[in-house]
Amino acid sequence: MRRRLLAWFTRRPEAEAWALLGPGTFWMLVFFVVPVIVMCAYSFMPRGTYGGVDPGFTLEAYTRFLHPVYLVILERTFVIAVLTTAFCVLAGYPVAYAITRSGKWRTLLLFLVVLPFWTSFLVRTFAMIFLMRDTGLINTWLIGLRVIRQPIEMLYTPFAVFAGLVYGYLPFLILPVYSSLEKIDPSLLEAAEVLGAKPAARFWRVTLPLSAPGLIAGSLLVFIPALGSFLTSDLLGGAKGLLVGNLIQNQFSTARNWPFGSAASLILMTLVLVAALIYLRVGRE
Amino acid sequence: MHRRELLRRTIALGILSACRRLQDTLTPEQRTAADATEAAEPLGPVEKRLSIYNWSDYVAPDTISNFEKEFGVKVTYDVYESNEEMLAKLLTGATGYDLVFPSSYAVSVLKAVGIASPIHRQYLTNWGNIAPLFLDPPFDQGNAHTVPWQWGVTGLAFRSDKVDAPDSWAVLQDSRYRGKMTQMDDGRDVVGSWLRYRGHSLNSEDPAELARAEADAIAAKKNLKAYISAPVKGQLISGDVWIAQLWNGDATQAKVEQPNIGYVVPKEGCTIWEDSLVIPRSAPHKRAAHEFMNYILRPDVQATISDFTGYGTPNSAALKLMQHPVPYPTADELRRLELQIDLGRDTAVWDQIWTEIKSA
Amino acid sequence: MPRWVVAFTAIVLFLMHLPVLVLVAFSFNASKFSVSWTGFTLHWYQRLLEREDILAALRASLIVGVSATVIATACGTLIALALARHRFRGRTLYEGLVYVPIVTPEIVTGISLLILFVFLRVPLGLLTITIAHVAFSISFVVVVVLARLAGMDETLEEAAMTLGADEVTAFWKITVPLLWPGIISAALLTFILSFDDFVITSFVAGSGSSTLPLIIYSMVRRNVEPSINAISTLIVIGTSIMLYVAEKLTREDTRAST
Repeated sequence: MRRRLLAWFTRRPEAEAWALLGPGTFWMLVFFVVPVIVMCAYSFMPRGTYGGVDPGFTLEAYTRFLHPVYLVILERTFVIAVLTTAFCVLAGYPVAYAITRSGKWRTLLLFLVVLPFWTSFLVRTFAMIFLMRDTGLINTWLIGLRVIRQPIEMLYTPFAVFAGLVYGYLPFLILPVYSSLEKIDPSLLEAAEVLGAKPAARFWRVTLPLSAPGLIAGSLLVFIPALGSFLTSDLLGGAKGLLVGNLIQNQFSTARNWPFGSAASLILMTLVLVAALIYLRVGRE
Repeated sequence: MHRRELLRRTIALGILSACRRLQDTLTPEQRTAADATEAAEPLGPVEKRLSIYNWSDYVAPDTISNFEKEFGVKVTYDVYESNEEMLAKLLTGATGYDLVFPSSYAVSVLKAVGIASPIHRQYLTNWGNIAPLFLDPPFDQGNAHTVPWQWGVTGLAFRSDKVDAPDSWAVLQDSRYRGKMTQMDDGRDVVGSWLRYRGHSLNSEDPAELARAEADAIAAKKNLKAYISAPVKGQLISGDVWIAQLWNGDATQAKVEQPNIGYVVPKEGCTIWEDSLVIPRSAPHKRAAHEFMNYILRPDVQATISDFTGYGTPNSAALKLMQHPVPYPTADELRRLELQIDLGRDTAVWDQIWTEIKSA
Repeated sequence: MPRWVVAFTAIVLFLMHLPVLVLVAFSFNASKFSVSWTGFTLHWYQRLLEREDILAALRASLIVGVSATVIATACGTLIALALARHRFRGRTLYEGLVYVPIVTPEIVTGISLLILFVFLRVPLGLLTITIAHVAFSISFVVVVVLARLAGMDETLEEAAMTLGADEVTAFWKITVPLLWPGIISAALLTFILSFDDFVITSFVAGSGSSTLPLIIYSMVRRNVEPSINAISTLIVIGTSIMLYVAEKLTREDTRAST
């Protein structure tokens, strides 16, 4: 029986491939693709009074998004995501570089970088709250050391949201960059040295370009979640500012405007995919 | 051609059938009649489990465990922070809850969508304890779907050792206390407070009034530390926050840990709210739910709960037993206090305003 | 390597760990308010054991985590095998599409699944959470296992088959053992992603089906007391142990096969 089945499959390599792909593809189709299609359909329907949708077709959800308040939210989210990515690159690249040159400390350092990566995002965000409160550790220390007399308002400011995002996503940048840097053939750098290039030139002309793939992958891994984040702004921002993520979440809880929430989700998803495609295209050149 | 047409019809039908969910299928008259018939029918024996979905910090520490012991029922207890959170869960198909505790306008929403199940009064032997003032509320005539739970107001809690007692919503625009004040993370409460500040109803749908309230709210936002609801208690206690828009009972609870906390109803007025127990239509343990309702209608149980939470009780028999009873509002006070009603389709307008305030 | 790079790295790594270290330290603080150190105590850890809701949430998280890991790892490994070893129509397109769930923001995934469950009138509960977790994890498994497969030598399997083993035997006796570290890494990744997931779970959880992150979130928002520090510390320790074990397994195996 088994032999017959195998023989049947061997003659049809494509069928074998699809047998393997089957279960996973089915799951992703039903629980990923179909929901997005339904969400797409909902975005074109009029909203029900108490949530959900009524039958019909309308572009109301999309035209509503053109209202300045929502465009401002989109712009603000975009700016925060770009700033977060830039800062992560500035802070993370040197760390990744240092790890490649660390010799016997390499495993330990990698572990130290990977650990926050694996620790719950929620736990780490709470740790930030803990540190930054008016009666939190930083203020208590600074007041104790008499550096300041009144507590600095750190929590519930845009700075807190920004710091929370950088803190949360920094490991996502360090690891891919490290991975890329590690693969660089040291003989290339030796050759450059032999040809008379100074250390700075060696870095800018050899190391950096060769680490570009990792840099791009890492930037994407920071930019995309930052664009869709809402937890950080919710917990660290004092609910005073709205990012696109908060806006979307609102539509499905307090505002009960599902079509608008769906439209906003699709717009966000499109932006993310476009950003990813641009990044990859730029990276390949 | 035939197959594609079939596919298209099936999809359309599917979407249509899904759409009609979030609106009651019967007209209000049909619903009232159907509910009356259902309310008269008997329910089965008391089930062994009960699932409660309540506000945080809204029962005494031993209320649930005592109920479990006396009736042999296992209780699952989930909490929420706002009516919207609870409504969002119920309206999107969370079907496991047996009891929820909506405020006035939330009851209207539940009824409009057909989710509120009729109360079988025959099981509530302690019904007579409820003060007449709280029977037959405007949002549920005849108490067909609700049992009164607790009531309260949404005014200002403050640290009496850090600030003078405020008397008006205007204190939130006072830059002396910049960064030390909060308002609730709730559009209706924030916009409502500024509507009252200008002497308007906090259920207003007038665009001019709403625009003025929005401007006021944004002017106050500069001085606010955050929009935060019940969790601000911890910050009042620790001194991070000096003035907070908060419910009176939560302020009383915070006072236990920090005696220097005062409470005031601003002179322009504020929200008075009544919470009720409601059984969702999809509740799997309706009989146990009724048993719980009857249990909390007992004077001693209700007195313990209200003494702990600091809220007002609609139970006149319990009032006599309480150590710190919250007196019923006088006629003069009632003039300043207003109940929130459901805005229906205007919720969208209010939501737009709240979004603009938040992203200002 | 320039001196400033070393110093900079030290500062960044310190800052990366400071918040969690402080969190862990104050989980042992006797005072409820965590403003100053008033003494060492295990009181908050004891309180965790008393809280029925936390224990129930832990149980839920474990059930969902294990189920989702098993299903996602199985499905994902099969997909990775198909992508690496077989040619079929639409392969490049499929390869690209596999990455879409990874780049999709969590909130979009969560909301679209909520819409689907409401549409199909599926009651929300542990089942819907598990389904959601598998849906977003499969892509991660594919990526990890593919990376491992890329470095694997096919000649061993071919050798086994020339010696008379059929495809299935070759698969179980050669491919799987060689692939094992990759599968384990993928499984661990899936488990941790599932255990820590908050955003997607918050949308598809029903009554009484709170997972640990949901409970922690409500604790953070409501009453901030050191029990949160305690449970966070336990999570950090648990994650570290799992990471360490994974690292050991992977390293041992590579050493064994060389």
